[in-house]
Amino acid sequence: MAEAKPAIRTRGLSKRYGQVTALADLDLDVAPGEVVGYLGPNGAGKTTTIRLLLGFIRPTAGRAEIFGMDCQRDPVMVHRRVAFVPAEASLWPSLTGAETLRLLGRLHGQADLPYRDELIARFDLDPSKKVRAYSRGNRQKVLLIAALMTRADLLVLDEPTSGLDPLMEVAFRHCVTEARERGQAVFLSSHVLSEVEALCDRVVILRDGRVAEAGTLSEMRHLSAVTVEATFAGEVPDLSGVPGVSGVVVDGHSLRCQVTGLVQPLLTALANAGVTRLLSGEPSLEELFLAYYGQSAPSEGVTGVAS
Amino acid sequence: MLADVTAAAPVTVGRPARMMIARHSARRSLRSGVLWGYVFGVVVASSALSYGRIYSTGAERQRLAATFGANHASSALFGPAPQLQTVAGFTAFKVSMTLIIIGAIWGLLTSTRMLRGEEDAGRWELLLSEPTTQGRAVAQVLAGLGVGAVVMWAITGVLTVAVGRSSTVRIGVTAGLYLALAMVASAVMFLAVGAVMSQLAPSRGRAAGYAAVFLGVSYGLRMVADAGTGGQRGPGLHGLIWASPLGWVEQLQPLTDPRPLALIPIAAFTAALAALAVLLAGRRDIGAGIWPDRNTRAPHVRLLSGATGLTVRLTLPAALGWAAGVAIAAALIGTVAKAAGATIEGSEQQVLSRLGSPGSGVAAFSGLAFLILAVTIAFQAAGVVNAARAEEAEGHLDHVLAASVSRSRWFAGRLLVGIAALLFSGIAAGVFTWIGEATQGGGVGFPTALDAGINVIPPALFALGIGALAFGLWPRRASVVVYVVLGWSVLVQFAGGFAAQNHWLLDTSLFHQMASVPAVPPDWQVNGILTGIGLAAMFLGERALRRRDLRGG
Repeated sequence: MAEAKPAIRTRGLSKRYGQVTALADLDLDVAPGEVVGYLGPNGAGKTTTIRLLLGFIRPTAGRAEIFGMDCQRDPVMVHRRVAFVPAEASLWPSLTGAETLRLLGRLHGQADLPYRDELIARFDLDPSKKVRAYSRGNRQKVLLIAALMTRADLLVLDEPTSGLDPLMEVAFRHCVTEARERGQAVFLSSHVLSEVEALCDRVVILRDGRVAEAGTLSEMRHLSAVTVEATFAGEVPDLSGVPGVSGVVVDGHSLRCQVTGLVQPLLTALANAGVTRLLSGEPSLEELFLAYYGQSAPSEGVTGVAS
Repeated sequence: MLADVTAAAPVTVGRPARMMIARHSARRSLRSGVLWGYVFGVVVASSALSYGRIYSTGAERQRLAATFGANHASSALFGPAPQLQTVAGFTAFKVSMTLIIIGAIWGLLTSTRMLRGEEDAGRWELLLSEPTTQGRAVAQVLAGLGVGAVVMWAITGVLTVAVGRSSTVRIGVTAGLYLALAMVASAVMFLAVGAVMSQLAPSRGRAAGYAAVFLGVSYGLRMVADAGTGGQRGPGLHGLIWASPLGWVEQLQPLTDPRPLALIPIAAFTAALAALAVLLAGRRDIGAGIWPDRNTRAPHVRLLSGATGLTVRLTLPAALGWAAGVAIAAALIGTVAKAAGATIEGSEQQVLSRLGSPGSGVAAFSGLAFLILAVTIAFQAAGVVNAARAEEAEGHLDHVLAASVSRSRWFAGRLLVGIAALLFSGIAAGVFTWIGEATQGGGVGFPTALDAGINVIPPALFALGIGALAFGLWPRRASVVVYVVLGWSVLVQFAGGFAAQNHWLLDTSLFHQMASVPAVPPDWQVNGILTGIGLAAMFLGERALRRRDLRGG
């Protein structure tokens, strides 16, 4: 029955620090088994959201539930079903990696010990070292292993791969994929957009403490502009006045533009213009992200071949 | 646009980088230097001005000098007391040992924080990325800390000189500045001690611990030397005064019989340790100490089964360190109690009773000594609050709370472990005082000594309660609150107590509430009230913690 309840559900969740609004009216749903990416620039409210979900800070308004349990009223019950990786890998320096994993497993109350040993091997961690002697990446590995070994129903990951090398990032992606296949939900706050693009079913983009956009990547791409590049045998046609077309850049016999909404008006305008080559592409997550923050997308975004 | 960027060349934007570390260090030490210089100056000024009011006649002053000047008990605890019939002699005696020890603690905490603490926090590497070496960086930090110490001396000196112009005080400019120098000398020496320990130890906590042990040994040697002055074992033991850095400061004898030559070992010791710190810094890896610390080991999982076990594991070394320090000090006190207490008789009792320790003989001396142990254990309680706050500020608490541990359980565990550590130290104080006294063939007896040890625990519990409440309400100010309460209590008790100021003021001291066992019987009612207030404050602190946001550093 518990699995029928959303892994995360917030309604009107807000947090203010004096005159500063860190988070405003957040409505968020994460289903069991779903991987949700949580994006936003520094200071957008991502870590504030996570600390509210874990009951570390009190909301100014609204409420948050994890598997139907109130995050403020029942934090201990909530935490039994959650594993958390914080953004900063601050651990007890005098303990070794093995001791830290033992401690965190005992504190959480559940740990899959064979899986822990497998994770230690996968992440190539030397658990006999003291935390003080670990590099930042190795401290991050300890936290990742500690979270994953619990097999918790919800993984809350705040910048989980900061400090990891590319090989370990691949290992991390495999682990998250496995977790999803086991039915675990994952709430992933990250600045590594390729990681979010590869792992997440849905994406929520925050701006200034508010949700700027939310949905699946395909939904977000559908709502966003498609980039079109065309090359002509003769003169480039005049596209001014064509509905949905913007950002027209002409370079000799080539043209580049963005199309929002239906592509049909553009195709009609191009039909008799002697098109020799036509490329179109959906924006990458990076382009979408940058578009929401008012920056132009890089030109490498065009990938699809239409003809 | 591109051409403009490539054409741009670096320009000088300020002083050369090699000066920046010293300036940064000076800026950070300046604030506490100003604060403590002001406190030192005010204490000196209030002592000097109160003398004429309290001992207004020549007869009273002569009686004070006759009764207190040759007292071995006060000599052991606070240093010799020559020329008490003069305002200068009284002022020098009243402020010296208290301010010397406060200065030493300031020095060791400040330098270990600025050197090893910055390294532990990862900021030291940022400073070392400037065009400098590790040795030069340490030298710059020490230079910056020296600026803080100079400011402390200047403010103390200015306030002393200013009050010296009063017709009832009459301390000259040179004498005033020399007194200030004596008060700040221990701070300077222990800045250097802290700097060396920061190179030897693998972490800030251990560096401060080693420096504190050095301070404890210095105080113990000075105490044994001064307790023997003029006594049966005197001549041989008094030579120990030159084995203690605190003894050198005492030998400066400001305002009474100035001996500037004692500045030579002080300066030589400071310079040698500073040079050693610079030398050692260049011979070790960042993040490591000269004394080896194994980076790998087989897992020791004992106590790692829960939040309270973790607290025991993390705080055990500090608790054992405090208990060992208390035990050593108690044993030394017990060893000298018989000789020191033998001179307490007649009108001297009145003077000691102003410090809260009435009676005579060993019991009166021990009563005063246990007051010092009570202060020590109350500062241990402040350490418990600091450690809890550090867990939150450094983000370690996040891991514990995210793993199904409630805030209440974590906090209650920390307080229980802290209370157990305070009990252990208090009992150690009683037991080791008795052992020390037993080696000299006499004393107050085991049950009384044990009572005296237990009697110092309630003020510590009160301090822990205040700290816990502050932690619940204002976590970033918790340490400041508890140190202000303790600092004020110490100043009022010792500086105010010698001058028998009005009881309303004395009542604001936490330690004034404590019965000076074994000089007087324990006041279990007062102990119960102090303990009750402390426990109630802990409870309120826990309630407040449950309702507030966690706050990082």
